[in-house]
Amino acid sequence: MGCVLAGVLLAGCASNEKAGGMPQATTASSGHGAAAPDAFAAWPCLSYTAECGKIPTRMPVKKELAGPLNGDAARGKLIANERSKGNCIACHNLKGGTQPGSRGPDLSQYGTWGRTDAETYTLVYDLRTRNPDTVMPPIGTNNILTDQEIRDVVAYLQSSK
Amino acid sequence: MNNRKNRLFLALIGGVLSTLSASGVSAEGVYREYFPRAQIDPSKGVMGDIGFSDTVQYWKDAQALEQHKNWIGDPANEWKLNWKHMDLDRSSDFHEGHAAVDDGEKYVKAMSRAEPSFLTCLGEGKTDLKGVAARYPKYDEKLGRIMTVESRVEHCAQTELWRKDVKQGSPINNAITMYVKAQSTGMPIQVDIQSKPVMEAYKRGEQLFYTKAGQFNLACASCHTPQGTMGQKLRGQVPTTPFGDAASFPLYRSPLGQVESLQQRFAICNRQSRTMSLKPGDPAYTDLEVFYTVLSNGYPVSVPAIR
Repeated sequence: MGCVLAGVLLAGCASNEKAGGMPQATTASSGHGAAAPDAFAAWPCLSYTAECGKIPTRMPVKKELAGPLNGDAARGKLIANERSKGNCIACHNLKGGTQPGSRGPDLSQYGTWGRTDAETYTLVYDLRTRNPDTVMPPIGTNNILTDQEIRDVVAYLQSSK
Repeated sequence: MNNRKNRLFLALIGGVLSTLSASGVSAEGVYREYFPRAQIDPSKGVMGDIGFSDTVQYWKDAQALEQHKNWIGDPANEWKLNWKHMDLDRSSDFHEGHAAVDDGEKYVKAMSRAEPSFLTCLGEGKTDLKGVAARYPKYDEKLGRIMTVESRVEHCAQTELWRKDVKQGSPINNAITMYVKAQSTGMPIQVDIQSKPVMEAYKRGEQLFYTKAGQFNLACASCHTPQGTMGQKLRGQVPTTPFGDAASFPLYRSPLGQVESLQQRFAICNRQSRTMSLKPGDPAYTDLEVFYTVLSNGYPVSVPAIR
């Protein structure tokens, strides 16, 4: 389970750190035990004693798309492929993406699936509302992306044909 | 999962930990989600991987690894070797892991010269460390807690030499731990699952393995079980089985240029999934180490390894 493995997915290994909107910890330089960064202290953790050990998981939220989509597909493409943002590419094949993952469905032709913007928005926001056991992070509920960023990603998916 | 709400309700009513459902109430009494459990039988040790990832057949010994060495570098199959082709602990080719063991030996010799009881503390009454590490983690009756090799090293340095700089996760602790473990290289890991406190720690560690945490709401199991992402590509890499992992730690991480203990790996995994990491030696990480090491029972101690 080397760093190369665990690192690929999410917040990224040090070599791939980029300045993104999310607070991030580096793995190599600040790594190794001491001075654990508290950037994620607001989320549930595994501790028996620290406050974060008592933070509940946020319940699934079935979020409706308000008004027209108004998403920007070009921006959505960047967000979906950027490790520090959506990082959808870690698990999904995406149109125009490189080094895709294979755990989630191939979304490179999503625009041909006939899904509505509203349904897509709700599922990206929190897939647990359809599949409680999903591996996919609750993108909207857990503030991984903003409302507008999710709209952009939805526009990108719908343009993927 | 239509009955999920019902189960949550029942769990709330009962005020008990609902370990088998996707959601439930944690020991702290708050709503938590759990990744669906895999069936793992601790008495099977490393062979519990049969029916789990089913890859142990490819990395169980040097012969199996040799037979499948053509998978090295093959993105579709390399994960099935569980990185054991990089253990190299029995190879005579020198690598940085050996340098760490040599450092550890120098520390142990110097510290034992200064205070001979340091060595007998490490050896639990004996000066010969051969085979000692293969039985860790273990419950220490006198101290009343589960000890890892790392916490034993920290404890002995503190009690026998009054040194407070040999903390778990420090380079000196890692080097000494690697030296102590290298005295058991090739010997099968034998965590005592007959010990009640050990099995209690195992069960807590198992629960942590399935507990979703962090901004991404991921459990260890989200990536390292067949129902999770194991065997699937994650951005070009493939998560592996948890079986056999603990046998190689602490190991030398060549991309980082430093030694990493198992609990430091947990911390890095936590951070990378946007979860607050804990310090090496934290009781939760110790429980997780017990769980992981029982999943290596029967597999030889494989220190020094590189990754």
